[in-house]
Amino acid sequence: MDTPVAQLWSGMRGISTQPTYVVMQPTTLCNLDCSYCYLPFRKVDRQMPVEVARAVAESVNPWARTGRFSVVWHGGEPLAAGREHFAALLAPFAAEVEHHVQTNATLIDDAWCAFFAEHGIRVSVSVDGPEARNGDRVTRGDKPAYDRIVRGIEALRRHDIPFSALCVVARPAPGLATELYEYFLELGCDVLGINVEELEGVNLRDNRHPAGDVTAFWAELVGAWRRDPRIHLREIEWSLRYAAAVLDGTADTVLPRRLDPIPTVAQDGSVVLLSPELAGFSDPRYGDFSSGNVLTTPLSEVLERATETPWIREFLDGVEKCRVQCPYFGFCGGAHAANRYFEHGRFDVTATEHCRNSKIRLLEGVLDHARDHEPTAV
Amino acid sequence: MPEITSPRLSDRVETDPVTARVQETRSGLAALIEAAEQARALRSESTTKDGSAVCAWNHFENIPTFYNWNNRPR
Repeated sequence: MDTPVAQLWSGMRGISTQPTYVVMQPTTLCNLDCSYCYLPFRKVDRQMPVEVARAVAESVNPWARTGRFSVVWHGGEPLAAGREHFAALLAPFAAEVEHHVQTNATLIDDAWCAFFAEHGIRVSVSVDGPEARNGDRVTRGDKPAYDRIVRGIEALRRHDIPFSALCVVARPAPGLATELYEYFLELGCDVLGINVEELEGVNLRDNRHPAGDVTAFWAELVGAWRRDPRIHLREIEWSLRYAAAVLDGTADTVLPRRLDPIPTVAQDGSVVLLSPELAGFSDPRYGDFSSGNVLTTPLSEVLERATETPWIREFLDGVEKCRVQCPYFGFCGGAHAANRYFEHGRFDVTATEHCRNSKIRLLEGVLDHARDHEPTAV
Repeated sequence: MPEITSPRLSDRVETDPVTARVQETRSGLAALIEAAEQARALRSESTTKDGSAVCAWNHFENIPTFYNWNNRPR
């Protein structure tokens, strides 16, 4: 019996009332001034009061008792908050809660390594490849930050602290992927994520690229990874998970049943759901995008009332349009809220450049590699 | 191969062009998937508690800075 397309992909229907992680902004401040950064208040040091962390922990701690739960400290530059204040923000959380930090690494030293070890914090660093590829990562004085980034990573290695890496690629094209992957092998990260630069927040740089270039970039990355797959490469792992499910006939089980709300708690306690990149922005039509403030409403209650936020209802309409219109929905799950808004000015639209660069062309690149590397018959 | 830019051409599952393309690439994909499984075993992505940044494979989507595919901080 034929199945209507509308029933094909059953995941990503509505928003879960319980997240798997919360993003927390310990400070708006960043000591760097990367040219592609989307954050609006990164020159200002607005620190999160401990009362905000305490309020979040009241909702989070029970969730962590029933399953794995993480807090991601994401700035600004989280380490710019300082160890003493960071420790005070960690204190309200139960021991079961995992903590992660996304850092530019420039402030990491022996003392921070001891702090990570003491608090069991998992570390992810932001670095864009070899020195020449880090031209966008600069200090407030517009000086290259690369040497400071490397010094921080060397401290992690000296202390045997495993780390992940996030790499922003401004212009994906053939010839670049092998260079990047070999760099990260040498760097010693366990896990790597590749973010093609996005047009969002205060970053207005064009993110349209020739389709063939982007697809070739991803295909080349698969080849480079396959020669020495020591690194867990996020994009490849997810693509292969989906491909394997298609081949097994279980593709419809890959997407989560409901969208993770991914609450981002800004330094002042305001909560933005679904896309951390929307925090700190406002629009005459949508207001400040927030769904509440943990200082006045428990986070669990904010999540139960998520769909009362008008832009979120519009976003869910957009997800349904993606489900019906896009043949990549089973892989992607729908365009991200921030990409819809910053590229199109609204949430009920569908394909974004981010979809094309980081999802559609990724899958196509993986498939191109597979097609061109079929086993030879014996 | 160029990306598929048009919406589904009909409302029938068997016309899903992305699924069709994955299935057409079955042989090459099977080898790649096998290589990835061997790589995971070599990386010891199992349920150990060794403090590695790489968590258990079956929990991989809950390493939020990296694995939450459908949205994530960037």
